[in-house]
Amino acid sequence: MRAIVAIASTTVGEAIRRKVLLIILLIGLLFLSIAPGLGGLSPRQETTVLTSMMLGILQLTSAVIAIVLTVYLIPTEIERRTIYTILSKPVQRWQFLVGKYVGAILALGLMMLLMSGVLLLTYYLLQRDVSRLGEIAKAPLFYFVQMSLLAAVAVFFSTFVSPLVNFFLSGGLYFIGSMLNTIYDTFANSPTTNPAVKAVASVINVIVPNFANYNIQNPIINPGQQIQNPTAYALFTTAYGVFYILILLIGAILIFDKREV
Amino acid sequence: MAAAIETKKLTKTYKSRSLGAVNVVDELDLHVEEGEIFGFLGPNGAGKTTTIKMLLSIIYPTSGEGWVLGREIGDMEVHKVISYLPERPYYYEYMTGLELLMFYSSLFGMKDVERCKKLLERVNLAGDASKTISQYSKGMQQRIGLAQSLLNDPKLLFLDEPTGGLDPIAHTEIRDLILQFRDEGRTVFISSHELSEVERICDRVAIINRGKIVRQGKLSELLHGGRFEVIAENLDRSFEDTVKIPDAIVSYANGRLIVDMPEGEDLNALIDSIRSAKGTIVSVIPRRKRLEDLFVQTVRDTNQGAAR
Ligand SMILES: Nc1ncnc2c1ncn2[C@@H]1O[C@H](COP(=O)(O)OP(=O)(O)O)[C@@H](O)[C@H]1O
Ligand SMILES: [Mg+2]
Repeated sequence: MRAIVAIASTTVGEAIRRKVLLIILLIGLLFLSIAPGLGGLSPRQETTVLTSMMLGILQLTSAVIAIVLTVYLIPTEIERRTIYTILSKPVQRWQFLVGKYVGAILALGLMMLLMSGVLLLTYYLLQRDVSRLGEIAKAPLFYFVQMSLLAAVAVFFSTFVSPLVNFFLSGGLYFIGSMLNTIYDTFANSPTTNPAVKAVASVINVIVPNFANYNIQNPIINPGQQIQNPTAYALFTTAYGVFYILILLIGAILIFDKREV
Repeated sequence: MAAAIETKKLTKTYKSRSLGAVNVVDELDLHVEEGEIFGFLGPNGAGKTTTIKMLLSIIYPTSGEGWVLGREIGDMEVHKVISYLPERPYYYEYMTGLELLMFYSSLFGMKDVERCKKLLERVNLAGDASKTISQYSKGMQQRIGLAQSLLNDPKLLFLDEPTGGLDPIAHTEIRDLILQFRDEGRTVFISSHELSEVERICDRVAIINRGKIVRQGKLSELLHGGRFEVIAENLDRSFEDTVKIPDAIVSYANGRLIVDMPEGEDLNALIDSIRSAKGTIVSVIPRRKRLEDLFVQTVRDTNQGAAR
């Protein structure tokens, strides 16, 4: 256990010092703080559009950070040979992998926390209204689960593809997974769709993690479209995410165990 | 004494597009005794690092077997009592020396600041404990590498090219530390492609080339040339002609007689005859081969053999 904690905290230490990540984070923060200046809208519109825009910026920045952080997570350790001193100690490979993953999502969480703080501050300074801050703050929590899932996808791929390929694979999967509901509805529910295509759509729907579950900015923007039972929804989507993460990590460990480093 | 490392036909095959399957390590039979400094010598690309990685189950053998401290390779238990200093290692640069040691010690489930400080002292880095690794020189990094390799009080240390790219002073520092390790009863396995002072402290060596061991044995025996040089004074020049030893090179200059001869009974006879001629023996020196010569010769021979 201590080994996993040590590896995780070292990973956080490394991640928050990585220039690329800090630059992406800075760009995200910059856009968050200038977002209010970008609209020329009526006050009512401004609130909803602004919120959704800022959440969008936060989400996109987090996704880029998550991918850039995790596709290099294992390859860098191998390339710099830091992994050798670690694996020559009584550390099992699964402990190493879990430690790296936990460290990565902790670092990601820290960065998202910072962005969320800036987002809420910007919103407050503009609206002078605290009543909806709590509601808005829920979205980044959902995003955090989403990004943890994305990180697990990238870690899984990183055990057998190169960082560049992984970048596009994970990014692509995130893109498809984010539109999964829409895509699936289009194919599966249309009576004109060929049964074979329908079957493929169903398979994709099962295999690809549904990232769209976590895109909950819509209920905030349109309070009319509230989710029936928010607590149950949050629990379900979190459990769904954790389940997928576990499957991906187990897969990653099985591959990594056989791999030569 | 038990064997610290033993391998039987240990083999690693890599497939490459241009060369096909290549046995990078080829049926290696190694035998390292407990408590010795063992030199694993060979040119670049000979298969030294690959062998070490297999012994540490960082990579897996294609075939063959190996045991480290009596346990089959792959058994993680043994990792508690061995340690490894990789070739050209890299450490998390943002950490201070002390933080780095604390990190590695937590991998053993330990959290002993005092021990880490002691080890820093031991490798002469006590004054640099709070500097970050990025501020360390190469020699300092190598010393902290040795410190981390001592955290678990190991019985066996694998040092892969421990003096690669270091200046002569750093060489000496590392050599002295390694000698201390042996005095503490540890087994030290050193791989190297250059023959610096560090290799001279080895008790036994194996010379590996193209994945195969071409020489293995006590360093003193491998270097033993089988010849002696005898120097004597206070002899007439005419004595030179009385020396009738096969394969000997006799010379006389500035009142000194110098005989370069093979070892054997003739040596005693020569010494006796010098004495009875009332000559003074200045020195009798066994002529050792230079390690460099042995190394270059061995590698060249096997390369030629392979080319034929
Ligand atoms: N992963 C690998 N794939 C293919 N060839 C490799 C791999 N690792 C090492 N080699 C080759 O194996 C040979 C031995 O390498 P190595 O053990 O590092 O040599 P040494 O440590 O003696 O310098 C080299 O020719 C190297 O190119
Ligand atoms: Mg090497």
